[in-house]
Amino acid sequence: MKLHQIWLTDFRSHADLSLTFSEGLTAVIGPNGSGKTNLLEAIGVLSRLRSFRGVSNDRLLRREQPRAIVRAQGERDGRDVLIELELSSGRSTVFVNKQRLPRNRDLLGALRVTVFAPDDLSLLKDGPSVRREYLDDLLIALDTRNDAVIADYARVVKQRNTLLKQAKGRLDDAAELTLDVYDTQLSALGERLTYLREHVLSALMPRVANAYTMLAGTECSVVASYRRSWEGDGMLEAVQEARAQDLARSTTSMGPHRDEVSLRIDEFDSRTEASQGEQRTLALALRFAGHELVTEHVKEPPLLLLDDVLSELDEARATALLTNLPVGQTLITSATELPASVRPDAIVRFPIINLTTLDTEPDQVVEVLTDG
Amino acid sequence: MSTYARPLEVLIDELGRLPGIGPKSAQRIAFHLLNVDRVDVSRLSEALIDVKDKVSFCERCFNVAEGPLCEICNDPSRDHDVICVVEEPKDIAALERTGAFRGRYHVLMGAINPLEGIGPEQLKVKELATRIASEDIEEIIICTNPNLEGETTAAYIARMLKSFDMIKVTRLASGLPVGGDLDYADELTLGRALEGRSAL
Repeated sequence: MKLHQIWLTDFRSHADLSLTFSEGLTAVIGPNGSGKTNLLEAIGVLSRLRSFRGVSNDRLLRREQPRAIVRAQGERDGRDVLIELELSSGRSTVFVNKQRLPRNRDLLGALRVTVFAPDDLSLLKDGPSVRREYLDDLLIALDTRNDAVIADYARVVKQRNTLLKQAKGRLDDAAELTLDVYDTQLSALGERLTYLREHVLSALMPRVANAYTMLAGTECSVVASYRRSWEGDGMLEAVQEARAQDLARSTTSMGPHRDEVSLRIDEFDSRTEASQGEQRTLALALRFAGHELVTEHVKEPPLLLLDDVLSELDEARATALLTNLPVGQTLITSATELPASVRPDAIVRFPIINLTTLDTEPDQVVEVLTDG
Repeated sequence: MSTYARPLEVLIDELGRLPGIGPKSAQRIAFHLLNVDRVDVSRLSEALIDVKDKVSFCERCFNVAEGPLCEICNDPSRDHDVICVVEEPKDIAALERTGAFRGRYHVLMGAINPLEGIGPEQLKVKELATRIASEDIEEIIICTNPNLEGETTAAYIARMLKSFDMIKVTRLASGLPVGGDLDYADELTLGRALEGRSAL
Protein backbone atom coordinates (compact mmCIF):
# COMPACT_ATOMS: atom_id res chain seq x y z
CA MET A 1 0.00 0.00 0.00
CA LYS A 2 1.20 3.49 -0.85
CA LEU A 3 0.74 6.15 1.78
CA HIS A 4 -0.46 9.50 0.50
CA GLN A 5 -1.45 11.40 3.58
CA ILE A 6 -1.48 11.02 7.34
CA TRP A 7 -3.27 12.83 10.15
CA LEU A 8 -2.30 12.52 13.79
CA THR A 9 -4.43 13.66 16.72
CA ASP A 10 -3.01 13.58 20.24
CA PHE A 11 -0.39 11.04 19.22
CA ARG A 12 2.73 11.49 21.41
CA SER A 13 3.92 15.08 20.96
CA HIS A 14 1.60 15.76 18.02
CA ALA A 15 -1.68 17.43 19.03
CA ASP A 16 -2.77 17.85 15.45
CA LEU A 17 -0.61 17.09 12.43
CA SER A 18 -1.33 16.51 8.79
CA LEU A 19 1.30 15.54 6.21
CA THR A 20 1.44 14.55 2.56
CA PHE A 21 4.06 12.11 1.31
CA SER A 22 5.72 11.67 -2.04
CA GLU A 23 5.60 8.26 -3.75
CA GLY A 24 9.39 8.08 -3.67
CA LEU A 25 11.77 9.38 -1.03
CA THR A 26 10.38 11.84 1.51
CA ALA A 27 12.90 13.38 3.91
CA VAL A 28 11.71 14.66 7.29
CA ILE A 29 14.34 17.06 8.59
CA GLY A 30 14.32 18.84 11.91
CA PRO A 31 16.13 19.19 15.24
CA ASN A 32 16.06 16.53 17.95
CA GLY A 33 12.82 16.44 19.90
CA SER A 34 10.71 17.93 17.12
CA GLY A 35 8.59 14.78 16.74
CA LYS A 36 10.19 13.09 13.71
CA THR A 37 10.41 9.63 15.25
CA ASN A 38 6.88 9.98 16.66
CA LEU A 39 5.64 10.37 13.10
CA LEU A 40 7.39 7.18 11.96
CA GLU A 41 6.15 5.40 15.08
CA ALA A 42 2.55 6.31 14.16
CA ILE A 43 3.02 4.78 10.71
CA GLY A 44 4.55 1.71 12.36
CA VAL A 45 1.49 1.37 14.62
CA LEU A 46 -0.78 1.43 11.55
CA SER A 47 1.16 -1.51 10.22
CA ARG A 48 1.69 -3.67 13.30
CA LEU A 49 -0.86 -2.34 15.81
CA ARG A 50 1.97 -1.80 18.26
CA SER A 51 4.93 0.49 18.57
CA PHE A 52 8.28 -0.52 17.13
CA ARG A 53 9.81 1.18 20.18
CA GLY A 54 8.38 -1.64 22.29
CA VAL A 55 6.07 0.43 24.50
CA SER A 56 2.43 -0.22 25.35
CA ASN A 57 -0.32 1.71 23.60
CA ASP A 58 -1.11 3.99 26.54
CA ARG A 59 2.36 5.51 26.16
CA LEU A 60 1.40 6.64 22.66
CA LEU A 61 -1.22 9.10 23.89
CA ARG A 62 -0.40 12.77 24.24
CA ARG A 63 -0.08 13.77 27.87
CA GLU A 64 -3.41 13.59 29.73
CA GLN A 65 -5.39 12.73 26.62
CA PRO A 66 -7.76 9.74 26.76
CA ARG A 67 -7.16 8.66 23.17
CA ALA A 68 -5.08 9.22 20.06
CA ILE A 69 -6.17 8.97 16.45
CA VAL A 70 -4.01 7.96 13.52
CA ARG A 71 -5.64 8.36 10.10
CA ALA A 72 -3.96 7.48 6.86
CA GLN A 73 -5.10 7.82 3.29
CA GLY A 74 -3.37 5.56 0.81
CA GLU A 75 -3.75 3.41 -2.23
CA ARG A 76 -3.71 -0.36 -2.60
CA ASP A 77 -4.07 -2.20 -5.92
CA GLY A 78 -5.19 1.08 -7.48
CA ARG A 79 -7.97 1.62 -4.94
CA ASP A 80 -8.19 4.28 -2.27
CA VAL A 81 -7.87 3.03 1.29
CA LEU A 82 -8.56 5.02 4.43
CA ILE A 83 -7.29 3.46 7.65
CA GLU A 84 -8.35 4.96 10.96
CA LEU A 85 -6.97 3.78 14.24
CA GLU A 86 -8.22 4.94 17.59
CA LEU A 87 -5.82 4.17 20.40
CA SER A 88 -6.68 4.31 24.06
CA SER A 89 -5.27 2.77 27.21
CA GLY A 90 -7.82 -0.02 26.80
CA ARG A 91 -8.81 -1.57 23.52
CA SER A 92 -7.99 0.04 20.21
CA THR A 93 -10.44 0.20 17.34
CA VAL A 94 -9.62 0.04 13.66
CA PHE A 95 -11.71 1.30 10.75
CA VAL A 96 -10.91 0.62 7.11
CA ASN A 97 -12.84 2.79 4.67
CA LYS A 98 -15.10 3.78 7.58
CA GLN A 99 -16.00 0.13 8.29
CA ARG A 100 -14.97 -1.14 11.69
CA LEU A 101 -12.86 -4.30 11.53
CA PRO A 102 -14.35 -7.18 13.54
CA ARG A 103 -10.87 -8.15 14.71
CA ASN A 104 -7.97 -5.73 14.85
CA ARG A 105 -5.52 -8.32 13.58
CA ASP A 106 -7.33 -8.25 10.23
CA LEU A 107 -5.39 -5.04 9.66
CA LEU A 108 -2.06 -6.90 9.67
CA GLY A 109 -0.73 -7.10 6.15
CA ALA A 110 -2.71 -4.07 4.89
CA LEU A 111 0.24 -1.73 5.31
CA ARG A 112 3.64 -3.37 5.47
CA VAL A 113 6.59 -1.38 6.79
CA THR A 114 10.28 -2.00 7.33
CA VAL A 115 11.84 0.10 10.06
CA PHE A 116 15.51 1.00 10.37
CA ALA A 117 16.04 2.62 13.74
CA PRO A 118 18.98 3.53 15.99
CA ASP A 119 17.77 0.82 18.40
CA ASP A 120 18.61 -1.75 15.74
CA LEU A 121 22.07 -2.01 17.24
CA SER A 122 20.41 -3.99 20.01
CA LEU A 123 19.76 -6.70 17.39
CA LEU A 124 23.39 -7.64 17.84
CA LYS A 125 24.25 -6.32 21.30
CA ASP A 126 21.30 -7.69 23.28
CA GLY A 127 20.32 -11.21 24.23
CA PRO A 128 18.80 -13.81 21.88
CA SER A 129 15.18 -12.69 22.32
CA VAL A 130 15.63 -9.64 20.04
CA ARG A 131 16.99 -11.83 17.22
CA ARG A 132 14.12 -14.31 17.63
CA GLU A 133 11.70 -11.40 17.48
CA TYR A 134 13.42 -10.09 14.35
CA LEU A 135 12.84 -13.43 12.60
CA ASP A 136 9.26 -13.66 13.89
CA ASP A 137 8.43 -10.13 12.67
CA LEU A 138 9.81 -11.10 9.28
CA LEU A 139 7.68 -14.26 9.23
CA ILE A 140 4.55 -12.21 9.92
CA ALA A 141 5.47 -9.71 7.19
CA LEU A 142 5.89 -12.59 4.73
CA ASP A 143 2.65 -14.32 5.65
CA THR A 144 0.20 -12.99 8.22
CA ARG A 145 -0.94 -16.54 9.01
CA ASN A 146 2.41 -17.05 10.73
CA ASP A 147 1.15 -14.66 13.38
CA ALA A 148 -1.20 -17.40 14.58
CA VAL A 149 1.65 -19.95 14.92
CA ILE A 150 3.76 -17.47 16.88
CA ALA A 151 0.90 -16.33 19.13
CA ASP A 152 -0.40 -19.88 19.77
CA TYR A 153 3.09 -21.13 20.58
CA ALA A 154 3.63 -18.30 23.08
CA ARG A 155 0.27 -19.09 24.68
CA VAL A 156 1.04 -22.81 25.03
CA VAL A 157 4.38 -21.95 26.69
CA LYS A 158 2.54 -19.65 29.10
CA GLN A 159 -0.15 -22.24 29.92
CA ARG A 160 2.42 -25.02 30.32
CA ASN A 161 4.58 -22.86 32.63
CA THR A 162 1.52 -22.01 34.73
CA LEU A 163 0.63 -25.69 35.01
CA LEU A 164 4.21 -26.52 36.05
CA LYS A 165 4.10 -23.80 38.72
CA GLN A 166 0.74 -25.02 40.01
CA ALA A 167 2.04 -28.60 40.20
CA LYS A 168 4.73 -27.55 42.70
CA GLY A 169 6.98 -30.39 41.63
CA ARG A 170 4.35 -33.13 41.87
CA LEU A 171 1.87 -34.33 39.26
CA ASP A 172 -1.42 -36.06 39.94
CA ASP A 173 -3.04 -38.10 37.15
CA ALA A 174 -5.11 -35.23 35.76
CA ALA A 175 -2.17 -32.79 35.75
CA GLU A 176 0.06 -35.40 34.13
CA LEU A 177 -2.44 -36.00 31.34
CA THR A 178 -2.87 -32.23 30.87
CA LEU A 179 0.91 -31.87 30.65
CA ASP A 180 0.98 -34.65 28.03
CA VAL A 181 -1.49 -32.63 25.96
CA TYR A 182 0.57 -29.44 26.32
CA ASP A 183 3.77 -31.31 25.40
CA THR A 184 2.15 -32.46 22.16
CA GLN A 185 0.83 -28.99 21.32
CA LEU A 186 4.14 -27.37 22.28
CA SER A 187 6.07 -29.76 20.04
CA ALA A 188 3.76 -29.47 17.03
CA LEU A 189 3.74 -25.65 17.13
CA GLY A 190 7.40 -25.52 18.18
CA GLU A 191 8.59 -27.67 15.29
CA ARG A 192 6.56 -25.57 12.88
CA LEU A 193 8.03 -22.32 14.27
CA THR A 194 11.58 -23.73 14.23
CA TYR A 195 11.13 -24.84 10.61
CA LEU A 196 9.78 -21.40 9.61
CA ARG A 197 12.63 -19.57 11.34
CA GLU A 198 15.35 -21.80 9.90
CA HIS A 199 13.86 -21.42 6.46
CA VAL A 200 13.56 -17.67 6.55
CA LEU A 201 17.09 -17.37 7.94
CA SER A 202 18.63 -19.39 5.14
CA ALA A 203 16.72 -17.36 2.54
CA LEU A 204 17.89 -14.21 4.26
CA MET A 205 21.61 -14.79 4.71
CA PRO A 206 22.86 -14.36 1.11
CA ARG A 207 21.01 -11.05 1.05
CA VAL A 208 22.51 -10.00 4.39
CA ALA A 209 26.02 -10.75 3.09
CA ASN A 210 25.36 -8.73 -0.09
CA ALA A 211 23.94 -5.79 1.83
CA TYR A 212 26.86 -5.85 4.25
CA THR A 213 29.38 -5.82 1.42
CA MET A 214 27.50 -2.97 -0.29
CA LEU A 215 27.47 -0.87 2.88
CA ALA A 216 31.00 -1.65 4.03
CA GLY A 217 32.45 -1.23 0.55
CA THR A 218 34.63 -4.33 0.91
CA GLU A 219 33.94 -8.03 0.40
CA CYS A 220 33.01 -9.67 3.71
CA SER A 221 31.57 -13.02 4.67
CA VAL A 222 28.57 -12.95 6.97
CA VAL A 223 27.33 -16.28 8.25
CA ALA A 224 24.45 -17.09 10.55
CA SER A 225 23.65 -20.21 12.48
CA TYR A 226 20.35 -21.09 14.09
CA ARG A 227 20.95 -22.96 17.33
CA ARG A 228 18.04 -25.03 18.55
CA SER A 229 17.50 -25.49 22.26
CA TRP A 230 16.61 -29.13 21.59
CA GLU A 231 18.35 -31.95 19.77
CA GLY A 232 17.15 -34.98 17.86
CA ASP A 233 14.54 -35.61 15.20
CA GLY A 234 11.41 -34.76 17.10
CA MET A 235 10.83 -32.01 19.60
CA LEU A 236 8.30 -34.09 21.55
CA GLU A 237 10.98 -36.53 22.64
CA ALA A 238 13.22 -33.69 23.88
CA VAL A 239 10.32 -32.08 25.74
CA GLN A 240 9.39 -35.37 27.41
CA GLU A 241 12.99 -36.01 28.43
CA ALA A 242 13.20 -32.57 30.00
CA ARG A 243 9.99 -33.02 31.99
CA ALA A 244 11.57 -33.77 35.37
CA GLN A 245 13.85 -30.77 35.03
CA ASP A 246 10.99 -28.54 33.82
CA LEU A 247 8.86 -29.65 36.73
CA ALA A 248 11.60 -28.85 39.23
CA ARG A 249 12.22 -25.40 37.75
CA SER A 250 8.57 -24.64 36.84
CA THR A 251 9.56 -23.54 33.37
CA THR A 252 9.69 -24.85 29.82
CA SER A 253 13.32 -25.41 28.81
CA MET A 254 12.96 -26.80 25.28
CA GLY A 255 11.57 -25.06 22.25
CA PRO A 256 11.98 -22.11 19.89
CA HIS A 257 11.45 -19.62 22.73
CA ARG A 258 14.93 -20.67 23.91
CA ASP A 259 16.66 -20.83 20.53
CA GLU A 260 19.52 -18.54 19.50
CA VAL A 261 20.65 -16.99 16.25
CA SER A 262 24.34 -16.17 16.10
CA LEU A 263 26.00 -14.17 13.36
CA ARG A 264 29.65 -14.09 12.38
CA ILE A 265 31.43 -11.47 10.29
CA ASP A 266 34.59 -12.88 8.68
CA GLU A 267 34.70 -15.61 11.35
CA PHE A 268 34.31 -13.16 14.24
CA ASP A 269 31.34 -13.40 16.55
CA SER A 270 29.19 -10.34 15.88
CA ARG A 271 28.04 -10.00 19.46
CA THR A 272 31.33 -10.22 21.32
CA GLU A 273 34.12 -9.68 18.81
CA ALA A 274 32.85 -7.16 16.25
CA SER A 275 33.44 -3.42 16.51
CA GLN A 276 30.58 -1.00 17.11
CA GLY A 277 30.83 0.15 13.48
CA GLU A 278 30.63 -3.43 12.19
CA GLN A 279 27.65 -4.12 14.41
CA ARG A 280 25.88 -1.01 13.10
CA THR A 281 26.54 -2.02 9.52
CA LEU A 282 25.36 -5.58 10.15
CA ALA A 283 22.18 -4.39 11.90
CA LEU A 284 21.44 -2.23 8.88
CA ALA A 285 22.24 -5.14 6.53
CA LEU A 286 19.77 -7.34 8.44
CA ARG A 287 16.99 -4.79 7.99
CA PHE A 288 17.93 -4.23 4.37
CA ALA A 289 17.91 -7.96 3.61
CA GLY A 290 14.60 -8.49 5.40
CA HIS A 291 13.09 -5.69 3.36
CA GLU A 292 14.35 -7.26 0.12
CA LEU A 293 12.97 -10.64 1.06
CA VAL A 294 9.51 -9.27 1.88
CA THR A 295 9.52 -7.18 -1.30
CA GLU A 296 10.12 -10.31 -3.38
CA HIS A 297 7.25 -12.17 -1.73
CA VAL A 298 4.51 -9.57 -1.68
CA LYS A 299 3.12 -7.62 -4.59
CA GLU A 300 3.90 -4.22 -3.21
CA PRO A 301 7.19 -3.38 -1.51
CA PRO A 302 6.82 -2.41 2.15
CA LEU A 303 7.05 1.22 3.10
CA LEU A 304 10.60 1.85 4.24
CA LEU A 305 11.02 3.93 7.40
CA LEU A 306 14.57 5.09 8.12
CA ASP A 307 14.70 6.70 11.51
CA ASP A 308 17.78 8.83 12.10
CA VAL A 309 20.14 6.26 10.60
CA LEU A 310 22.47 8.82 9.05
CA SER A 311 23.80 10.04 12.39
CA GLU A 312 25.26 6.60 12.96
CA LEU A 313 27.01 6.12 9.65
CA ASP A 314 30.04 7.77 8.11
CA GLU A 315 29.52 9.74 4.89
CA ALA A 316 30.56 6.85 2.61
CA ARG A 317 28.19 4.34 4.23
CA ALA A 318 25.34 6.84 4.41
CA THR A 319 25.71 7.56 0.70
CA ALA A 320 26.00 3.83 -0.08
CA LEU A 321 22.77 3.19 1.84
CA LEU A 322 20.78 6.02 0.30
CA THR A 323 21.91 5.48 -3.29
CA ASN A 324 21.19 1.73 -3.06
CA LEU A 325 17.75 2.04 -1.49
CA PRO A 326 15.35 -0.53 -2.87
CA VAL A 327 12.52 0.76 -5.02
CA GLY A 328 9.36 1.83 -3.25
CA GLN A 329 8.11 4.50 -0.95
CA THR A 330 10.65 5.63 1.64
CA LEU A 331 10.60 8.02 4.57
CA ILE A 332 13.79 9.16 6.20
CA THR A 333 14.20 11.33 9.28
CA SER A 334 17.36 13.25 9.95
CA ALA A 335 18.57 16.06 12.18
CA THR A 336 20.95 17.18 9.44
CA GLU A 337 20.67 17.67 5.69
CA LEU A 338 21.03 14.57 3.50
CA PRO A 339 24.34 13.99 1.70
CA ALA A 340 24.59 16.26 -1.34
CA SER A 341 24.45 13.37 -3.81
CA VAL A 342 21.03 12.28 -2.60
CA ARG A 343 17.97 14.11 -3.96
CA PRO A 344 14.74 13.36 -2.12
CA ASP A 345 11.41 13.85 -3.93
CA ALA A 346 10.00 15.89 -1.07
CA ILE A 347 11.29 17.50 2.10
CA VAL A 348 9.19 18.10 5.20
CA ARG A 349 10.71 20.42 7.78
CA PHE A 350 9.97 19.98 11.48
CA PRO A 351 8.91 21.53 13.76
CA ILE A 352 5.75 22.30 11.92
CA ILE A 353 4.33 25.54 13.22
CA ASN A 354 0.70 24.79 13.71
CA LEU A 355 -1.37 27.93 13.40
CA THR A 356 -4.77 26.29 13.16
CA THR A 357 -5.81 27.91 16.43
CA LEU A 358 -5.36 31.30 14.79
CA ASP A 359 -7.55 30.20 11.89
CA THR A 360 -4.77 30.67 9.39
CA GLU A 361 -3.90 28.18 6.73
CA PRO A 362 -0.80 26.19 6.10
CA ASP A 363 -0.03 23.83 8.92
CA GLN A 364 2.90 22.30 7.16
CA VAL A 365 5.83 23.43 5.12
CA VAL A 366 6.62 21.14 2.23
CA GLU A 367 9.17 21.78 -0.45
CA VAL A 368 8.73 19.66 -3.50
CA LEU A 369 11.95 19.42 -5.41
CA THR A 370 12.08 18.91 -9.11
CA ASP A 371 15.04 17.84 -11.16
CA GLY A 372 17.21 20.50 -12.69
CA MET B 1 -18.71 9.97 45.69
CA SER B 2 -22.48 9.85 45.91
CA THR B 3 -24.08 11.69 43.04
CA TYR B 4 -27.44 9.95 43.19
CA ALA B 5 -29.81 8.81 45.93
CA ARG B 6 -28.36 5.81 47.73
CA PRO B 7 -30.77 3.09 46.43
CA LEU B 8 -30.04 4.21 42.89
CA GLU B 9 -26.28 4.08 43.52
CA VAL B 10 -26.67 0.54 44.87
CA LEU B 11 -28.62 -0.52 41.78
CA ILE B 12 -26.02 1.00 39.42
CA ASP B 13 -23.25 -0.83 41.28
CA GLU B 14 -25.12 -4.14 41.11
CA LEU B 15 -25.88 -3.79 37.40
CA GLY B 16 -22.28 -2.79 36.73
CA ARG B 17 -21.12 -6.15 38.11
CA LEU B 18 -22.93 -8.04 35.33
CA PRO B 19 -20.83 -9.28 32.44
CA GLY B 20 -20.69 -6.97 29.44
CA ILE B 21 -22.21 -4.02 31.33
CA GLY B 22 -19.98 -1.01 31.91
CA PRO B 23 -20.64 1.94 34.21
CA LYS B 24 -22.40 3.94 31.48
CA SER B 25 -24.77 1.09 30.54
CA ALA B 26 -25.45 0.36 34.22
CA GLN B 27 -26.47 3.97 34.72
CA ARG B 28 -28.71 3.92 31.64
CA ILE B 29 -30.48 0.69 32.71
CA ALA B 30 -30.90 1.98 36.26
CA PHE B 31 -32.59 5.17 35.05
CA HIS B 32 -34.75 3.16 32.68
CA LEU B 33 -35.93 0.97 35.57
CA LEU B 34 -36.65 4.10 37.60
CA ASN B 35 -38.93 5.36 34.85
CA VAL B 36 -40.92 2.21 33.96
CA ASP B 37 -44.08 0.98 35.74
CA ARG B 38 -43.78 -0.84 39.03
CA VAL B 39 -45.40 -4.00 37.51
CA ASP B 40 -42.67 -4.25 34.88
CA VAL B 41 -39.98 -4.02 37.52
CA SER B 42 -41.61 -6.60 39.77
CA ARG B 43 -41.93 -8.96 36.79
CA LEU B 44 -38.21 -8.59 36.22
CA SER B 45 -37.37 -9.11 39.88
CA GLU B 46 -39.61 -12.19 40.01
CA ALA B 47 -37.90 -13.57 36.94
CA LEU B 48 -34.52 -13.07 38.61
CA ILE B 49 -35.55 -14.88 41.79
CA ASP B 50 -37.36 -17.61 39.81
CA VAL B 51 -34.31 -18.44 37.76
CA LYS B 52 -32.30 -18.93 40.93
CA ASP B 53 -35.01 -20.95 42.70
CA LYS B 54 -36.29 -23.11 39.86
CA VAL B 55 -33.40 -23.61 37.50
CA SER B 56 -30.50 -25.82 38.41
CA PHE B 57 -28.06 -27.93 36.49
CA CYS B 58 -29.02 -31.34 35.12
CA GLU B 59 -27.66 -34.11 37.32
CA ARG B 60 -26.59 -36.12 34.31
CA CYS B 61 -25.36 -33.69 31.66
CA PHE B 62 -25.08 -30.31 33.51
CA ASN B 63 -27.33 -28.53 31.07
CA VAL B 64 -29.72 -26.03 32.68
CA ALA B 65 -32.77 -27.88 33.99
CA GLU B 66 -36.03 -27.24 35.80
CA GLY B 67 -35.96 -30.55 37.65
CA PRO B 68 -33.23 -33.05 38.47
CA LEU B 69 -32.82 -33.82 34.76
CA CYS B 70 -32.90 -31.44 31.80
CA GLU B 71 -35.46 -31.59 28.99
CA ILE B 72 -33.07 -33.35 26.64
CA CYS B 73 -32.11 -36.06 29.13
CA ASN B 74 -35.83 -36.56 29.89
CA ASP B 75 -36.73 -36.90 26.19
CA PRO B 76 -37.07 -40.65 25.40
CA SER B 77 -36.84 -40.00 21.64
CA ARG B 78 -33.23 -38.80 21.86
CA ASP B 79 -30.52 -41.26 20.84
CA HIS B 80 -28.81 -42.78 23.86
CA ASP B 81 -25.61 -43.89 22.19
CA VAL B 82 -24.16 -40.50 21.10
CA ILE B 83 -22.95 -37.73 23.41
CA CYS B 84 -21.92 -34.28 22.28
CA VAL B 85 -19.40 -32.70 24.70
CA VAL B 86 -19.63 -28.90 24.94
CA GLU B 87 -18.05 -26.19 27.11
CA GLU B 88 -21.15 -24.23 28.18
CA PRO B 89 -24.95 -24.75 28.31
CA LYS B 90 -25.30 -21.99 25.71
CA ASP B 91 -23.41 -24.20 23.24
CA ILE B 92 -26.25 -26.73 23.53
CA ALA B 93 -28.71 -24.07 22.40
CA ALA B 94 -26.52 -23.38 19.36
CA LEU B 95 -26.31 -27.08 18.43
CA GLU B 96 -30.04 -27.58 19.03
CA ARG B 97 -30.85 -24.79 16.58
CA THR B 98 -29.19 -26.86 13.86
CA GLY B 99 -31.75 -29.63 14.40
CA ALA B 100 -29.07 -31.95 13.03
CA PHE B 101 -28.16 -33.68 16.27
CA ARG B 102 -30.49 -36.21 17.91
CA GLY B 103 -28.23 -37.48 20.67
CA ARG B 104 -27.61 -36.11 24.13
CA TYR B 105 -25.09 -33.72 25.63
CA HIS B 106 -22.48 -33.30 28.31
CA VAL B 107 -21.52 -29.84 29.53
CA LEU B 108 -17.96 -29.48 30.85
CA MET B 109 -18.61 -26.07 32.43
CA GLY B 110 -15.51 -24.51 30.89
CA ALA B 111 -12.24 -25.44 29.24
CA ILE B 112 -8.78 -26.27 30.55
CA ASN B 113 -6.97 -23.00 31.20
CA PRO B 114 -4.22 -23.05 33.85
CA LEU B 115 -3.79 -19.26 33.56
CA GLU B 116 -7.29 -18.91 34.96
CA GLY B 117 -6.84 -21.71 37.44
CA ILE B 118 -9.02 -24.19 35.54
CA GLY B 119 -7.73 -27.74 35.35
CA PRO B 120 -9.59 -30.99 34.57
CA GLU B 121 -10.69 -31.24 38.23
CA GLN B 122 -12.65 -28.01 37.92
CA LEU B 123 -14.51 -29.37 34.88
CA LYS B 124 -17.17 -32.09 34.63
CA VAL B 125 -14.64 -34.48 33.09
CA LYS B 126 -14.78 -37.19 35.74
CA GLU B 127 -18.58 -37.15 35.43
CA LEU B 128 -18.20 -37.79 31.70
CA ALA B 129 -16.03 -40.83 32.36
CA THR B 130 -18.62 -42.14 34.85
CA ARG B 131 -21.37 -41.72 32.26
CA ILE B 132 -19.38 -43.59 29.64
CA ALA B 133 -18.76 -46.45 32.06
CA SER B 134 -22.44 -46.73 33.04
CA GLU B 135 -24.38 -45.75 29.89
CA ASP B 136 -24.36 -47.61 26.60
CA ILE B 137 -22.44 -45.07 24.49
CA GLU B 138 -20.93 -45.62 21.05
CA GLU B 139 -19.72 -42.20 20.01
CA ILE B 140 -18.45 -39.06 21.73
CA ILE B 141 -18.43 -35.90 19.61
CA ILE B 142 -16.14 -33.26 21.10
CA CYS B 143 -17.56 -29.80 20.36
CA THR B 144 -15.28 -27.53 22.38
CA ASN B 145 -14.45 -24.10 20.95
CA PRO B 146 -11.91 -23.96 18.09
CA ASN B 147 -9.42 -21.93 20.15
CA LEU B 148 -6.30 -23.06 21.97
CA GLU B 149 -8.09 -23.82 25.28
CA GLY B 150 -10.84 -25.71 23.46
CA GLU B 151 -8.29 -27.75 21.50
CA THR B 152 -6.38 -28.56 24.70
CA THR B 153 -9.60 -29.75 26.34
CA ALA B 154 -10.53 -31.82 23.27
CA ALA B 155 -7.09 -33.48 23.22
CA TYR B 156 -7.33 -34.15 26.96
CA ILE B 157 -10.70 -35.88 26.66
CA ALA B 158 -9.55 -37.89 23.63
CA ARG B 159 -6.55 -39.15 25.60
CA MET B 160 -8.63 -39.89 28.67
CA LEU B 161 -11.07 -41.95 26.58
CA LYS B 162 -8.32 -44.05 25.00
CA SER B 163 -8.91 -46.76 27.59
CA PHE B 164 -12.49 -47.15 26.35
CA ASP B 165 -11.56 -48.70 23.03
CA MET B 166 -15.14 -49.54 22.04
CA ILE B 167 -16.01 -45.84 21.78
CA LYS B 168 -15.56 -43.72 18.70
CA VAL B 169 -14.24 -40.23 19.58
CA THR B 170 -14.75 -37.50 16.98
CA ARG B 171 -14.09 -33.78 16.80
CA LEU B 172 -16.24 -31.13 15.16
CA ALA B 173 -14.80 -30.14 11.76
CA SER B 174 -13.79 -26.55 11.12
CA GLY B 175 -14.54 -24.80 7.86
CA LEU B 176 -16.35 -21.99 6.14
CA PRO B 177 -19.60 -20.32 7.13
CA VAL B 178 -22.39 -21.37 4.77
CA GLY B 179 -23.95 -18.65 2.64
CA GLY B 180 -20.96 -16.33 3.02
CA ASP B 181 -18.45 -15.10 0.49
CA LEU B 182 -15.08 -16.81 0.30
CA ASP B 183 -13.63 -13.34 0.02
CA TYR B 184 -14.78 -12.45 3.55
CA ALA B 185 -13.36 -15.52 5.29
CA ASP B 186 -10.29 -14.85 7.40
CA GLU B 187 -7.10 -16.55 6.29
CA LEU B 188 -6.98 -18.98 9.23
CA THR B 189 -10.46 -20.36 8.68
CA LEU B 190 -9.95 -20.56 4.94
CA GLY B 191 -6.56 -22.25 5.45
CA ARG B 192 -8.13 -24.86 7.73
CA ALA B 193 -11.01 -25.41 5.35
CA LEU B 194 -8.49 -26.02 2.57
CA GLU B 195 -6.64 -28.58 4.70
CA GLY B 196 -9.90 -30.35 5.54
CA ARG B 197 -11.24 -30.35 1.97
CA SER B 198 -13.26 -33.33 0.76
CA ALA B 199 -13.55 -35.13 -2.59
CA LEU B 200 -16.57 -34.44 -4.79
